[in-house]
Amino acid sequence: MANVSPAPALDVDQAVPPPARPTPWRTLTGPIVRPLERIPATTRVRLGGLVLLAAALLFPVVHSNGGDVDAATNALCFAALALGLNIVIGFAGLLDLGYAAFFAIGAYTYGILASGQLHPLWNAAWQPLQWLGLVSRFHIDGVPDVVQFQLSFWYMLPGAAIVAAFFGILFGAPTLRLKGDYLAIVTLGFGEIVPIVVRNEQKLTNGAMGLNGVLPPTAFGYNFGVNATPYYYVAVGMIILLIFVSYRLKASRVGRAWMAIREDEIAAGAMGVNRTRLKLLAFATGAGFGGMTGTLYIAKLQTATPDMFQFPVSVMILVMIVLGGMGSVPGVVVGALLLQLLQSWFLQDLTQWVHALGRLVGSVALQEVQLAQTIELIFGIILVSMMLYRRQGLIPASRTTAALSMEEQAAHPSRGGIGVSLSRLRRVEAPEGAPLLETRALTKRFGGITAVRGVDLVVPPHSVVGLIGPNGSGKTTFFNLVTGLDTPDSGQILLAGHNITGLPAHAVVERGLARTFQTLRLFPDMTVLENVLVGMHAWTHANAVGAVLRPASVRREEHETVEWAMEVLRIFGNRLIPRANHLASSLSYANRRRLEIARAIASRPSLLLLDEPTAGMNPAETMELADQIRSLKDMGLTILLIEHKLNVVNNISDKVAVLDYGEKIAEGTAEEVHRNPDVIRAYLGRTSVARV
Amino acid sequence: MSSEPISAGRPLLEFKDVDTYYGELHALKRVNYEIGAGEIVCLLGGNASGKSTTMKAVLGIVRPARGTVTYKGEQITRLSTAERVRRGIAPVPEARRLFPRMTVYENLEMGAFTRDDQAGIAEDLERVYGLFPRVKERRNQLAGTLSGGEQQMVAMGRALMARPQLLCMDEPSMGLSPAFVEQVFDIIQTINKQGTSIFVVEQNANMALSIAHRGYVLQTGQVVLSGTARSLRENEMIRQAYLGEIKTA
Amino acid sequence: MTHYDVLIQQIINGLSLGAMYSLLALGFTMVYGIIELINFAHFNVFMVGSFIAAIALHAFGLQGQSRVLYGGPLLVALAMAFLAAMLFCGALGVVIERLGLRPMRHVKGTAAMITTIGISYLLFNIVLLRTGAATMNYPNPVPVLGWSIGGAVVRLRELLLWGVALILMTVLHLFVRRSKIGKAMRATAQDSEAARMMGIDVDRVVMLTFFIGSALAGAAGMIFGLYYNFTSFLIGYTAGLRAFTAAVLGGIGNIVGAMIGGLMIGLIESVGGQLLQVRWTDVIIFSILIIVLVFRPTGLLGTSTPTKS
Repeated sequence: MANVSPAPALDVDQAVPPPARPTPWRTLTGPIVRPLERIPATTRVRLGGLVLLAAALLFPVVHSNGGDVDAATNALCFAALALGLNIVIGFAGLLDLGYAAFFAIGAYTYGILASGQLHPLWNAAWQPLQWLGLVSRFHIDGVPDVVQFQLSFWYMLPGAAIVAAFFGILFGAPTLRLKGDYLAIVTLGFGEIVPIVVRNEQKLTNGAMGLNGVLPPTAFGYNFGVNATPYYYVAVGMIILLIFVSYRLKASRVGRAWMAIREDEIAAGAMGVNRTRLKLLAFATGAGFGGMTGTLYIAKLQTATPDMFQFPVSVMILVMIVLGGMGSVPGVVVGALLLQLLQSWFLQDLTQWVHALGRLVGSVALQEVQLAQTIELIFGIILVSMMLYRRQGLIPASRTTAALSMEEQAAHPSRGGIGVSLSRLRRVEAPEGAPLLETRALTKRFGGITAVRGVDLVVPPHSVVGLIGPNGSGKTTFFNLVTGLDTPDSGQILLAGHNITGLPAHAVVERGLARTFQTLRLFPDMTVLENVLVGMHAWTHANAVGAVLRPASVRREEHETVEWAMEVLRIFGNRLIPRANHLASSLSYANRRRLEIARAIASRPSLLLLDEPTAGMNPAETMELADQIRSLKDMGLTILLIEHKLNVVNNISDKVAVLDYGEKIAEGTAEEVHRNPDVIRAYLGRTSVARV
Repeated sequence: MSSEPISAGRPLLEFKDVDTYYGELHALKRVNYEIGAGEIVCLLGGNASGKSTTMKAVLGIVRPARGTVTYKGEQITRLSTAERVRRGIAPVPEARRLFPRMTVYENLEMGAFTRDDQAGIAEDLERVYGLFPRVKERRNQLAGTLSGGEQQMVAMGRALMARPQLLCMDEPSMGLSPAFVEQVFDIIQTINKQGTSIFVVEQNANMALSIAHRGYVLQTGQVVLSGTARSLRENEMIRQAYLGEIKTA
Repeated sequence: MTHYDVLIQQIINGLSLGAMYSLLALGFTMVYGIIELINFAHFNVFMVGSFIAAIALHAFGLQGQSRVLYGGPLLVALAMAFLAAMLFCGALGVVIERLGLRPMRHVKGTAAMITTIGISYLLFNIVLLRTGAATMNYPNPVPVLGWSIGGAVVRLRELLLWGVALILMTVLHLFVRRSKIGKAMRATAQDSEAARMMGIDVDRVVMLTFFIGSALAGAAGMIFGLYYNFTSFLIGYTAGLRAFTAAVLGGIGNIVGAMIGGLMIGLIESVGGQLLQVRWTDVIIFSILIIVLVFRPTGLLGTSTPTKS
């Protein structure tokens, strides 16, 4: 006889309770940190920021050593570069090994236009530029007049950023579809090519000798010259600006889309993120930061040579963000400052100490060590040891959240569907009597195997259609075709009468079609709320500029999206709401499924495609979800559902279609389908009554 | 044709209170299985129920966090996959997983990777060719160019090349045409009659129960039902959930 | 020399460079084939190999190019130096894999690649600190013998280098095609989980792959020294990138592709440098890299695709 053991009654959603061990670091810092923790977090951050700002502004006043101020300026320049590379690697997850190229492009843009390198012959066309004060007419007796460029540093700070961003797009456009490691190699190639071109184009750049006589900035009639202090203040201003921009971008629609791409590119596309455009935006923004920094750096040095922008510079910036923490704004700034100041301030002192130690223990080798030569060795050690032992960096980007109370953890299975009304669901705009989704003779081949063969399927509005069939029968491929993740070899897909065949995934979402994945493709290192917010990408509008300036329209949109996100999360009672600020990776299996559904609904679809939504759920959870799916239909959603649990399909589907071997072999009500002899043979085994 | 379990005395393979995790996900929760010598045992369950994790735990690709796996009376919980294959546990993985750019013959050779007895290997090669004449015809073709059904035969042949006492099959019917599924299941019975025990994970419950002696039903990582194939076929819950019977109101 | 002779001479030079790039590209392509990792440490394993071979040649009392050997002693000295470089680099590769990369095997994303950059930096700077920044005059015991082909000259040194590369590549090819462990390597590259299920010890296969790839890089390092008569801590980067380009050109993961790609890059470098200007050589080679990756990511004979679906 069969032993039947009942499913457990209470179901606890937390997969494993998070460990609450105090780390050694925590024990050490506890006495200092604990009193501070009583101050509210936002106030604490503001206070800390003000203290740091005051210290930064006062530094040249209290410490007048020009060399040290200059070193601090350099450190700030590298912090700016690290912030730029952090947008590319940390936010968007694109490994760029040739970032110094953009530094170089910015530097040479200013350098060429603010030095005597180019002397085109004067003609009347230059006159307007002279009125604007960008060029002057240079006269030497006996030779024709020439043009002298004298573009203002202040124009060129944003100007060089734009030029570098343009090159970022130029390099990125053909290459950003490459997989991560190949992209790294290609960017490395660009990083090599740029200095070579600079070296070889002698007319433009003066080659390996470098540009000379780059004009220093002037402000209010004061020429910066070679005095370190004014550059220092410009660098402080620039770093404040870039930190501000980084924070604003990170906490915006754009930043969330970048992180979604970093976490799971395909899922990001399926949530409506235009991957190519956003990757280019990340590349261009990072390049812009580099270009701006290049201008300041060159204005300060008043010279530029191609050697200043070689591969080791790119690696140094990479080491900075690895040390500080990829994706963490304070982390990368701290990482950059640490490494730069280590080189310029501490390494000399350290060398002295090592020599002293050598004298003490009588070791000749120690007395001869020159640590300054070992800086790249130190970089190597930092890279390897951070990767092996602390991949998240000194100041990690993602935060841990407090554990839930038992009350919040214990979710009681509920029946009866959804208690909230989803006010913002999209109205279906299908003509009367017409299907919402229709596929005509849809076919897809992979190599020699035809995964989907001539499938015609009609999904009427406000219905639930179940799609069943054995594993490998082409159901998921069919979903991929409909949602634009794969392109059909032939056939048509019509959504509310409009042809959507061959549209990219993000465009399909924009037209009101959202999906979940059987294999679960959440963005693990983003919070539950952020996951849902990414789902709203398709119908929100804030762009990078809006994200930074945050005008009223963007603030309103952000407010509305968060409200809508919480409304969507409320579908699942108290399963997800208490965990809104938890990382998706900490959720239990069933909650991950729920979050995927919430994320898809957030895109306000008219048609929702669910790929095995109950896989991995126990019977109680399964029935709960089935009720919720039915409620969604009652609210006006149309649902196409792949499901193996036949009781679910039978319960909630208005119509069932059966795929086998990529072909639709039956269609009708659940009852009709189960009586169909072809279905019995194909889907249910050799005979519905087992051989005995 | 299926009969009651013929297992007597010590089981060939035994899982005792096995727990496994994927990161923070609890994939198998205190599961117990027994597979007797000469038996066909099937494991039923939906996607993400823990079926594939079970297969990986049998093969030592996933290590249990708690609990023991015993094979022929010996604890193998901590043994490597290679050691388990050497002791006679061979897999037919889900979706075949042939080496696509190696020939059929080379794929079969890989099945015998842990063996050194050339004479025995040659013998088993003949046995595989005997069971699957089609495989012999295609032996010099790249495995990636075969049809799904032919690939399934090669995958089974490859597992037999290890001369296993326990054959672990993960969804052998997946992606195959109905006629071919029948053929595959007939061959499973033939192999079993030649003395190999079989542990088969299957979504096609009807098919699996038609040839198995006993079965287990897995749900969210827990065994919720177990018994003889006949008792499972007659169980109301199974009929509804897996055999596709519909209760009409 | 006529233009025609110059061309022949550049082809001869290109074949020598190509032999070196092919050996170096094999390491990239084999490691990528097995664990999908671009191994930047490989650049400087090659550089280390060049120094190890020099040390071995020094042990035979050879300094610079002044002292040459003939017959048996020449072959013994060369064979021992190749062997020393290959064994040392092979072991170095295994250590790198075991200590630096195995803990990263299951970390998704670019962490493992960043680690290899770090390791590469370590090797680079350790050698720099030990040997100093000056280039090293390379011991070369091969007599200066040459045969003329029209106006061009093919020297004994080149014939020897071609011979070594040919032997190593033939042995590798036969090993991977015929031997049981070689087949296990191919199986692991095609589907590592299935390979594990067959009882193949994937960890050992990965280690062996690093050993072989790094040993070939060691041989390439010695070829560099014998060809250019110098070595330096700097040589890894440029040669490594060119060899990587060769691997991509031939189709990353494809062993025969890496050999052919290496020869092509060698020829492009020498002939192309002649036709255009040497200072543009790297731009040409990187442009090839980018163009191949963008427009034909599987390379000329490739198997795996570097774009996401």
